[in-house]
Amino acid sequence: MTRALSWFLSLLALGALGLMLGIFTWQSGPVWQAEGIGYLTGGRWFFRQHQFGALPMIYGSVVVSLVALFLAAPIGLGAAVFTAEYLPPRARMPVKTLIELLAGIPSVVYGLLGILLLRDWVYERFARFDPLSGDTLLTAGVLLAVMILPTIVTLGDDALRAVPAAQRRAARALGLLRAESILHVVLPQARRGLGAALLLATGRALGETVAVFLVVGRQDNNLPSPWYSLRPLLESGQMLTTKLGGAETHIAWSDPVHWAAIVGLGLILLALTGALALFGAAFGRRSDA
Amino acid sequence: MRKLTDVGVAIVAGCCALISVGLLVGLVAVIAARGAPALSWSFFTGQIRLVGAAGGIFWNLVGTLILLVTACAACTPLAVGIALLERVWLTGERRRSWLRTALYAMNGLPSVLFGLFGFILFVQWLGWGKSWLAGGLVLALSMLPTVTLALIERLRAIPARYVEAAAAAGLNRAQIVWAVLLPQARGGLITGTLLGLARAAGETAPIMFTATIFAGATFPTAIRDSPVLSLPYHIFILAQDSFDPAVGTRLWGAALVLLGLVFSLSLLALPGRLKQHEEAHG
Repeated sequence: MTRALSWFLSLLALGALGLMLGIFTWQSGPVWQAEGIGYLTGGRWFFRQHQFGALPMIYGSVVVSLVALFLAAPIGLGAAVFTAEYLPPRARMPVKTLIELLAGIPSVVYGLLGILLLRDWVYERFARFDPLSGDTLLTAGVLLAVMILPTIVTLGDDALRAVPAAQRRAARALGLLRAESILHVVLPQARRGLGAALLLATGRALGETVAVFLVVGRQDNNLPSPWYSLRPLLESGQMLTTKLGGAETHIAWSDPVHWAAIVGLGLILLALTGALALFGAAFGRRSDA
Repeated sequence: MRKLTDVGVAIVAGCCALISVGLLVGLVAVIAARGAPALSWSFFTGQIRLVGAAGGIFWNLVGTLILLVTACAACTPLAVGIALLERVWLTGERRRSWLRTALYAMNGLPSVLFGLFGFILFVQWLGWGKSWLAGGLVLALSMLPTVTLALIERLRAIPARYVEAAAAAGLNRAQIVWAVLLPQARGGLITGTLLGLARAAGETAPIMFTATIFAGATFPTAIRDSPVLSLPYHIFILAQDSFDPAVGTRLWGAALVLLGLVFSLSLLALPGRLKQHEEAHG
């Protein structure tokens, strides 16, 4: 009885997950038929003309996440080194608790802070590049950097603490100074866990919706030309999640191909974040923070 | 030179930590400073008037609580079922690790995807329209991996001799589950659920297509077409639309209340987490 109940409940939950994967694959079918691979590589999205190219959204998501990672990774890993290696054990738990508490600030609150503070800051800071507004991909990236910082710190700290203390003692006994033992002994041994922390943080950045929705500008069809140009960073853009979260999701329901194009964005997002989470889980052990 | 590197690394790491903590504490301070003037008794007990420029957030709070209670009620049995399957009923490490991998993958999925799923399944196919139940179920799905993984950790930490003693006393596996594992893991379940709820309470993306509207809903009396108001969606809409200073203060006030709710849930989970940490690190 207990056993059957456990199985029933588990299958219910896994069934829901499976149903979700199935629905996303099946419902996005029409757009793959209509656009083929052009759905992934096309740069133009005009739903009234039935043109669906998801590349600008993929570009937006990737570039914003990279900006966030680029800004947050050095600071986050540095802070993780400090909490794991320098803080006395007594002080470590309070600081870690504080950081994990701050990791829980809802994303809509970050969005609010972004709208009222960060947007103007970016606009004034980069005035000489003449941005049209403060709603840019860069703004979204900076906001996301702050949002994923606690994740990097706390997972990085776990990874560093997983290196046995005996390794540190041995390094010190060989005459290495503290910094040398960190740089040459602890960090190399923790690199898988640190990598996992960064992967999971990237996944979180890719999937973030409402905070970036409020500051990214939601301008369709923004692609760089040439491809390595950084100019679009200071223009409004669109990400996979902000497109999904926008009003177009409601409009699209009545038109099969348009709806398929929207669900297809969800499928792309699912593939990206699912892959990152799986890599992260395979890389390091703990991934629930 | 070596000494210099030693000091340098310490300083750089310390600065990084200071920046991280300072940045985040600073953000909370900004919200508290701007939101505090809006807080008053009538802010908690009044309903929205003039598109957020007057009145309070009573029904938003009620709606968020309805969603959280629903999510909690739907999530807990599923989490217990999966955790027991992983710890007790599945044989072979391979199958267990498959199940855990599925949970890790699910944990990495963005909440907006659960929202889209709920929109297709509940709002459109089942024809519920926007409904508190749809929102609660979607939130339950999004917090399920957090709760389950916390529970699995806790079950794993139960000393083997408890189970062995129960088995020696002649209990079968189902009896061991009810008499030993579940009572011992109760703390872990509560901690995990609180953490999951803390995350769910602030979520906007899963509920904006499935459950909440901006104004004009009170206590739901049915399932179909019974939306609720909610705090995160309230902030989300006002943040986009309004530049009225009267709205501004109330907007920060609502953000402060939401932050308070989320932090309270996390802090309630803290004693359990610290205890678990002590047990794990002796």
